[in-house]
Amino acid sequence: METLAYPGVQETLYREVMPNGLEVVVLPKEGFSKTYATFATRYGSIDNRFAVGNGAPITVPDGIAHFLEHKMFEEPTGDIFATFASQGASANAFTSFDRTVYLFSATEQIDANLETLLDFVQNPYFTDENVEKEKGIIEQEINMYRDNADWRVYFGLIDALYHVHPIHIDIAGTAESIRQIDKETLYSCYETFYHPSNMFLFIVGGVKPLHVMELIRNNQARKSFEPQGPISRFFDPEPASVKLPRKTAVLPVSLPKCLIGFKENREPLQPDVLLRTELLTKLMLDSLLGSSSPIYHELYDDNLISDSFGHEFNSSEDYAFSVIGGETRDPDLLAARLREAIDKACASGLNAQSFERTKKKKIGGYLRMLNSPEAIAGEYTRYRFRGADLFKLLPIYESLTLAEANKRMREHFDWGRMSVSIVAKEG
Amino acid sequence: MSKSQFQRGQLHRIRLHVLPTQRFKTFSISLYAGLPLKEETVTPVALIPFVLRRGTAETPETIAFRERLDNLYGAGFGFDVYKRGDSQIVQFRMDVINDRFVSSNEPLLAASLKLLGEVLTDPATDDGKRLKAKYVDAEKVTLRKRMEAIVNDKIRYAAERCIEEMCHNEPFRLHALGQFDDIDGITAESLTAAYRNWLSQAAFDLYVVGDTTLEEVKAIISRTFRLDGGEPSPYAITPPASAPDKVRTVIERMDVSQGKLNMGLRINTSYGDDDYPAALMYNGILGGYPHSKLFLNVREKASLAYYAASRFDGHKGICTIQSGIEIANFDKATDIIEKQLESMRSGQYSDLEMNQTKAMIANHLRELKDSANEMISFDFNAILSGKERSADELLQQVEAVTAEQIAAVARKVELDTIYFLRDGKEG
Repeated sequence: METLAYPGVQETLYREVMPNGLEVVVLPKEGFSKTYATFATRYGSIDNRFAVGNGAPITVPDGIAHFLEHKMFEEPTGDIFATFASQGASANAFTSFDRTVYLFSATEQIDANLETLLDFVQNPYFTDENVEKEKGIIEQEINMYRDNADWRVYFGLIDALYHVHPIHIDIAGTAESIRQIDKETLYSCYETFYHPSNMFLFIVGGVKPLHVMELIRNNQARKSFEPQGPISRFFDPEPASVKLPRKTAVLPVSLPKCLIGFKENREPLQPDVLLRTELLTKLMLDSLLGSSSPIYHELYDDNLISDSFGHEFNSSEDYAFSVIGGETRDPDLLAARLREAIDKACASGLNAQSFERTKKKKIGGYLRMLNSPEAIAGEYTRYRFRGADLFKLLPIYESLTLAEANKRMREHFDWGRMSVSIVAKEG
Repeated sequence: MSKSQFQRGQLHRIRLHVLPTQRFKTFSISLYAGLPLKEETVTPVALIPFVLRRGTAETPETIAFRERLDNLYGAGFGFDVYKRGDSQIVQFRMDVINDRFVSSNEPLLAASLKLLGEVLTDPATDDGKRLKAKYVDAEKVTLRKRMEAIVNDKIRYAAERCIEEMCHNEPFRLHALGQFDDIDGITAESLTAAYRNWLSQAAFDLYVVGDTTLEEVKAIISRTFRLDGGEPSPYAITPPASAPDKVRTVIERMDVSQGKLNMGLRINTSYGDDDYPAALMYNGILGGYPHSKLFLNVREKASLAYYAASRFDGHKGICTIQSGIEIANFDKATDIIEKQLESMRSGQYSDLEMNQTKAMIANHLRELKDSANEMISFDFNAILSGKERSADELLQQVEAVTAEQIAAVARKVELDTIYFLRDGKEG
């Protein structure tokens, strides 16, 4: 077990890689009642074509990672929620583009809950009957999201930006795609992506690292996993252009929702460059469009945006795009005004004071986030899967310069790679 | 440990509650202001925080006001308006990092409280007296949009419509954001009068959790809040209303993919009552968790829904059920839910259900201590209800609840309203 101390943020981590390849990180939080644990696999909605070692590539139905997440909760002994409940733990799971995460939060019986988490995720139980039964539940989940305007405008934007990259596929799939899922496909995805060497366990809270590591070591030693070759994921080459410049959906909403996004087209970046680029882009966007920026106030004063206006930047090794917008009375006018303001900023550069102030804001936000075990676990895992370290962000934030941010701004805002997504009511 | 560790004090009309702790990297501040829900005042009172957050006498321009927050290392600043029992509560929240992590020129707690004091007692005005007309006009638009946007989230819309129908004869029918038709008539003059009245009538409670003391907080706010003399106002407790003789069924049509089935129950037990712990158990066994009757029977057994849950409002003494279903399954789902209510009434709770529910409630109550904001919200329950009961005391009371006590609550429960949001088609 190695000890990693971060005096700047007053935290110490303990890390160990188990003989079967499972990586475990423990963050003890003095004085905390609760323990929060996440068990994550590098497997999400985009992993729809893959191969193991020298094996032949296989293609799986859309939404299968999410389907698998649902099915993991079923054990031969019944629903695993019941076991967690008996042990006073609140359990859950979620699937994103590139990972599936199982988690619990508990204040007592931590050892038992950790064993339950490891055991249920490492024990798939799929039958023809239980797979069929899940389809009705997931279909209702898909329908629920179809009625959700924020979800629709967000995924509408990604769909407009990307021609072939599977990021444009709905995480839950469609009613048609999930009908093709059967227990054999589930098992083959499970065996590939739930191998310990593809997984990461993070535990934060009132725990003793030595004790926890021993418990996990013993738990893993009781199970056998065949060694597995590296997983290859296959993505067809994504054209540089966007698929659609404008995409609209109709839903009964009070005001139209409008998001604009820029798709970046670049070679895969090294983990440290990827991380720096991400932090820099987010800082640049906030300095330019955040709630204390002149652009924000002009648009708010003209009743073109509301408090829902925001921005984000999503990036990984093989995709990167921004999302900017919110509800508006006039989507096309908002898009035009944003374009005008962004062009002006690209010509003049960011305001130096605003850049420094936003940097302070980002540092404060980062430190505030470190109060929350849930946020730490989520962010630590996200960064870990990209080869970065959440606890090393402070010096990077401090070193970001205005010149870099201006360069990034001019690089990112390429109007030839912009899409607009709109959700509005009929008429 | 069993009693709450908040230090209590008072400054003029504000009750002070300070919890000194070094567990967090932040100072968390909450200011609550409550008034009875009334048709005449609900709309202007809802508008007050929208206008106050635009600026203060010292920094009247919104952009400068937000720059101040950025300079406090991105202090979190937000507000909310909601109902608790028959009171309308305005809550301002601030989160600022502890100075020990950064090199700040000014003490961040003092600077944050000063800013909050200005927001509350020294707002931006046109002539030193009247709230800035520009902000009143702009925030009327924002409030209107906020109200109209409720329909965008069908889950929330259905939940609020169910309560509105169920409580059509009580103040609780009113929406916390007020009444749409009353916005137009509000002027800077009328809102200033409402604001003055609010300052002199509302019940104010200021909470601070972090590395500080009651003396320090009191000293800061006596310098930075411009308060008139007077004593704090108490919260009024209203007795629970009873259900109609016959269950009301309300069906509303809209362009939706998924039907939203909601039910409103009179549970006739509130936070201050001795059987409140038993009512918590009632809700937990019925639908509070993934091991509860609703989740198991509506989702897991019948595959009718992705979500099926109940929520207990201890201040109003009502319980609501919400579920998203295929529209054609209305009768089937209603029938299954009513069977669960019947089984609650007949006292059919297994030891497993009892133990799981107790463990989950206990976990929640223990976890509170890891979050400054959760501790604040929990403590505020005592102010609202006049019933002092620490999390540890409640935990012990829940542990001691018997099946017979839950059955006694169940026999008091009355189904009041069934609300169904469905598609526009006839059928």
